[in-house]
Amino acid sequence: MKIIKSAFPLVIALFLTYAMNQSWGTIPPIGKLFSPFHGFWMNAESPESGEPTEETLQIAGLHQPVQVVYDEMGVPHVFAQDDHDLFLAQGYLTAKDRLWQMEFQTHFAGGRISEIVGEKGIASDQFQRRMGSVYGAEKSFEGMKEDVASKTALEAYSAGVNAYIGSLSDRELPLEYKLLNYRPEPWTPIKSALFLKNMSFVLASGTDDLKMTNILRKYGREVAEDLFPNYPFQESPIIPVGSPVDFKPVPIPAAPADFTGLGSSMSTPEKDPNIGSNNWAVSGNKTVSGLPILANDPHLTLSLPSIWYQMQLVAPGVNVYGSTMPGTPNVIIGFNKNVAWGVTNVGSDVLDWYQVKFKDASKQEYWHDGKWKKTTMRIETFKIKGKKDMVDTIFFTHHGPVVYLSHEKPFRSNIPVGHALRWIAHEKSQELTTFYQLNRAKNYEDYKKALTFYSAPAQNFVFASNEGDIALWVNGKFPLKSKLQGKYLLDGTDAAADWQGFIPQAHNPHVKNPVRGFVSSANQFSTDPSYPYYLGWQYAPSERGRRINERLAVMEKITMDSLRGLQNDNFNIRARELLPLLFAQVKSPNAAQSKAIAALKSWNLVNSPESVGATIFENWVVTLQNCLWDDEFSADEKVPMSRPSMDRTIQMIKSEPTARWWDDTKTPAKESMSDIVMKSLRANVDTLVKQHGPQGPEWAWYKHKQTGVRHLIPGMDALSRLNIPIGGGGTIVNASTTKTGPSWRLVVELSKEGKPRAYGVYPGGQSGNPGSSHYDDLIDTWAKGELKPLLYLESPDQKSNRLRKKITLSK
Amino acid sequence: MKHLIYSIILVVIGALVGIYLPWYAMGVAFGLVAFVLNMPLKSSFLTGFLAGFVLWVVSALWLDIQHPSTLPSRMAQVFPLKGNVFALFVLTGVLGGLFSGIWTWAGARLRQK
Repeated sequence: MKIIKSAFPLVIALFLTYAMNQSWGTIPPIGKLFSPFHGFWMNAESPESGEPTEETLQIAGLHQPVQVVYDEMGVPHVFAQDDHDLFLAQGYLTAKDRLWQMEFQTHFAGGRISEIVGEKGIASDQFQRRMGSVYGAEKSFEGMKEDVASKTALEAYSAGVNAYIGSLSDRELPLEYKLLNYRPEPWTPIKSALFLKNMSFVLASGTDDLKMTNILRKYGREVAEDLFPNYPFQESPIIPVGSPVDFKPVPIPAAPADFTGLGSSMSTPEKDPNIGSNNWAVSGNKTVSGLPILANDPHLTLSLPSIWYQMQLVAPGVNVYGSTMPGTPNVIIGFNKNVAWGVTNVGSDVLDWYQVKFKDASKQEYWHDGKWKKTTMRIETFKIKGKKDMVDTIFFTHHGPVVYLSHEKPFRSNIPVGHALRWIAHEKSQELTTFYQLNRAKNYEDYKKALTFYSAPAQNFVFASNEGDIALWVNGKFPLKSKLQGKYLLDGTDAAADWQGFIPQAHNPHVKNPVRGFVSSANQFSTDPSYPYYLGWQYAPSERGRRINERLAVMEKITMDSLRGLQNDNFNIRARELLPLLFAQVKSPNAAQSKAIAALKSWNLVNSPESVGATIFENWVVTLQNCLWDDEFSADEKVPMSRPSMDRTIQMIKSEPTARWWDDTKTPAKESMSDIVMKSLRANVDTLVKQHGPQGPEWAWYKHKQTGVRHLIPGMDALSRLNIPIGGGGTIVNASTTKTGPSWRLVVELSKEGKPRAYGVYPGGQSGNPGSSHYDDLIDTWAKGELKPLLYLESPDQKSNRLRKKITLSK
Repeated sequence: MKHLIYSIILVVIGALVGIYLPWYAMGVAFGLVAFVLNMPLKSSFLTGFLAGFVLWVVSALWLDIQHPSTLPSRMAQVFPLKGNVFALFVLTGVLGGLFSGIWTWAGARLRQK
């Protein structure tokens, strides 16, 4: 008894130790985390100052020493003696700044988040794996390994990341590991493939087929095709209209029989991400220097740590600077002595759904082309933090995985149940070869060759060289389809509905040195309808593309700074068209509405941060679309439907003022176009008053829009930058929205002497450590619309007052 | 006075253990010291608390002075302290103190058969 009594405090102490060493739900292990010898206090990094520092690090596996110099932004400039060492150093240095992010993003891509966060990650994880993310990465990895250069790059990069992981003690772990209480696992080359395949998820997984089929079933083909046309009312396609075609098209497959499909029912509605990008190159005859200038700003979800990491990579045969993606070797968007390139996304339809007819509940066989065929199965095991493993079976037809069986509840409302997924992201591919060769490209021919290796996600590759060429290839692997094939759900039993091969790469839309003196893309239609192949029916709204093209057409004596200005252009081309049409419909507004109309009438049509007009206009577009379409196109949330585009609405205001769609079918009265416009104005002003009080400075566009750069852990506001004062908008060239925006801005001017000048910035910082001054130090520069000069070095010994730190990596 | 000397001994041992061993080794070490030195039971918790509080606050301060950064104010938002860095230091001290105090008490109590 006595012993029990004396040991009692010990039991308490042991229990307390256990409790403080353990996560409890979202509460981190507070003992381990607060201990100044192990926890977060150790993650603080002071800003570098004064004389550059020098240090040497031992890294196993290097062939020769690698010199690394860091500039004041924290960009490493890497000088290696061969490719192997270059990629090993890239892996090591990227991990040094971004390890947690690299691992977290590939865990996400591979459907393994529940290993970190427990049960609540399961639905997302299962969705990732059912969509075939791991299957796609494995296939793509097979392709990558076939190219020796890519294989070397992947293996050396992986060795570099692992060298860094191996050097980390518990107390040196990045902050997020300490907060979420886990340790990094070894990196493998397939993780790089997972990351690259995840870009298809981010950029090429949009799918409206289900929603379109629901419309088809409710309204019939004529209405569906009328309200969801296959080419917009207003457009300025990427390939200038009338560009010569330099190939002989292959025959187009016959269209499969009409199919209406089952449609589908579902619960949670979801918002489509607002992502897209701009890029352009202007030829030397439009620039002050006489040489081409190239600009690019890919729009992605704004996140911390940033999706991009700047690097300069130098080895025999290569000296490239640009933004890399943590998790993959090479520079993705950048420039070298001779050329520069950039990318924007192509909205082509590379994802289709096939309604599957299983023979019986065992799902061992499915009906296709007049016979029963065998399904294959893939077993996926999910490790769940704090729970037993979960095992899941995915059934595959020859099309691809059946993402959700008929009785299951999909993770997203646009995913049909009982359908097999045919998706370009499941193809064997060699994207790394493209980037490897672009990094080393000397001219247009090299660029053209590099692109032949690229599959997905399809990109508009803009290009400029110091030989004076500018070019743009709409590039990727595109299925050879009959017209509109895959706009709606497809019949999985009909062999004629299968993808019938691919468009030859040389036939992808492209343009070189056009008469107009510039090439550009902003995710709009690749070509006008005269292009011989069908790529897709729905692309990003045309406004950004039209604005860029109207500006570039008139701009002369172009400099890098004038193109920086264009990247930050906040002019609202949609307001220019739409507002006069709306004003004409406004009848007897009340006082608050009159005040809003007055603000719009005096507005300069620029979505500047402080603009009140921009807020009223942008919110009006939202309420107008709601008032016009909600009655017919989102009546029942169990039958999700697409909504006609704003382009179609504008066309309807202009030329169909008495269309049946104007009537609000939820009221007994018959509404006119004017009634709906007034109803939307009322809703607009009412919501703004409710959100921000009476019209005034609180209605400023940036306060309404609330652009934020958020940490990758959802809800981690303390590590995010919110409410950033920046203008722009989704259909504005400066495409900054609430959660998305220009994730990297680059402007490069080439030089005959091989001394390119470049400027760039991204909304984040080089370091992934929230305790570093480089965590978010570029955000303010980005928000102001400024760029940082990029330091392009010839050798590690080159003098520059911008260098802060020198590291020698030695074996 | 004696308590203070005990606390100083604990601080020194805690720092050494902290540098070389996992974070919880500090508690075990404090318990051992209390056991070996036969610390008075009544004041043992307070002695340990004081040592843990001072050690963690001073070490955290030292790190913050060596590496000034926005991390403390961010962490004071991750934990609902409204960004108050002072409160973060106090919380650090209290956690270190509580942990140390209980172990010191446990060591001292174990000695009193």
